Amino acid sequence: MVFLQEVIRHIYFAMTAFFGLLLLRGLFKRDTRKSLIYDIVYAYTIIPFLLRALHIR
Amino acid sequence: MNGSNIRKLIMLLAFLVIAGFAAAEFLDLRHYKETVVVSEAFTEKRMLSEWLPNLKNTWGDTPVYFYDSGKPGATVLIYGGAHPYEPAGSLAVYVIMENLKLNNGRVILVPRADMSASTQGIVGHAYPQYLHIPTSWGQKVYRIGDRETAPLDQWPDPFTYVHYPSGQNLAYQDLRNFNRTFPGRPNGTLTERMSYAFMELIRNEKVDLTIDFHEASLMYPVVDTYVAHQRAEDLAFMAAMLCQAEMPMRSEVSPKNLRGLTHREVGDYSETLCVLVETAEPFIDRVVGRVTEQLMIDGKDEFLQRAAEKGLLYTDYDINNAQTIDTRVGRLLTSAIELINVFNMMYPDRAIDLWFPRYTDIITNGMGYYLHNPDEAVPSRVFLN
Repeated sequence: MVFLQEVIRHIYFAMTAFFGLLLLRGLFKRDTRKSLIYDIVYAYTIIPFLLRALHIR
Repeated sequence: MNGSNIRKLIMLLAFLVIAGFAAAEFLDLRHYKETVVVSEAFTEKRMLSEWLPNLKNTWGDTPVYFYDSGKPGATVLIYGGAHPYEPAGSLAVYVIMENLKLNNGRVILVPRADMSASTQGIVGHAYPQYLHIPTSWGQKVYRIGDRETAPLDQWPDPFTYVHYPSGQNLAYQDLRNFNRTFPGRPNGTLTERMSYAFMELIRNEKVDLTIDFHEASLMYPVVDTYVAHQRAEDLAFMAAMLCQAEMPMRSEVSPKNLRGLTHREVGDYSETLCVLVETAEPFIDRVVGRVTEQLMIDGKDEFLQRAAEKGLLYTDYDINNAQTIDTRVGRLLTSAIELINVFNMMYPDRAIDLWFPRYTDIITNGMGYYLHNPDEAVPSRVFLN
């Protein structure tokens, strides 16, 4: 059970990295909502995903 | 690269720089070590993983300090840091570790019961990360930490936390709450395993008296109070009476339907007499203003004063005579001393003779007076925690 929990925990870290990359892609390649404000939203939303994926916070 | 992409890149770099500064602070807290100079009564440092090996090399493992006189007497376990954002508990244990004199019996001290929770700050509200305690030789720095085990170490949270073994439903985040996961289980989550290791420590070392240091918000009914398992009810009630000579103290019995807490489960699943101690922390109430390190130290908050004037608090509060960190540490120390004194009266065959500073000492001299300079200490008595 401890092993399984560790596997699930690491999957969540991998998911965090995946969604962080999706946001990064969304920052540079998106077809709608192209204004500056959405650039800011995408850029700062990446931060928590980055910090979690790197095991910092 | 067109202008739009350059703008986006600049935006991304700007936020990465901000993230870098934040990351540096987070990592600093995560890896910061507190220094303790143990008293001459210290005999041995062990790790919690000795009582549950699968905790080894995890952030749930934590040092356990033994003070063994080698003479017959009770074994007393005192720990703080179950909730690191209640730092007076850990500080009180550090003061005991640095000053304990022991004539007989054995004392086991754990300053950081939930090590993981002490390595991450509270999310939001710009909570301070450290507490600086002034001494005659400089400052000693302690982590403040969070309430629950860090999500880095135990993740994800469940939708509902089903407490083991009672099956009671608790708030989801309480699965990371060290004081909601007792008696724990050896193959559970990290926090459940930490609780189980504590149970094993208590059972295997035949601990007679377990004292769990906490702090509480002033709007919480259980403040400046002993909360005792029913087998320790008389002990806590008499200790509360003895405390009155120095400070007001109340006593109540652990509710039987409130599961997962030490005063319930440790008492139910071991032979020890278990008492939790709460002192008032004018920092964690939702009504306070800026949550700064200064507030943590001096306890002065105008909004709490207004709440006091409106009769909304469960303990006395006066901004001009507020509960400083010294006051709170002193309260915990006297609370423990009086529990031990009453234990000695009730069980004279297992009486334990010891000394460490109490409320009056801390108020008179300041806590810093009892914290020693690691640079002037014998290296074998200096530990990083």
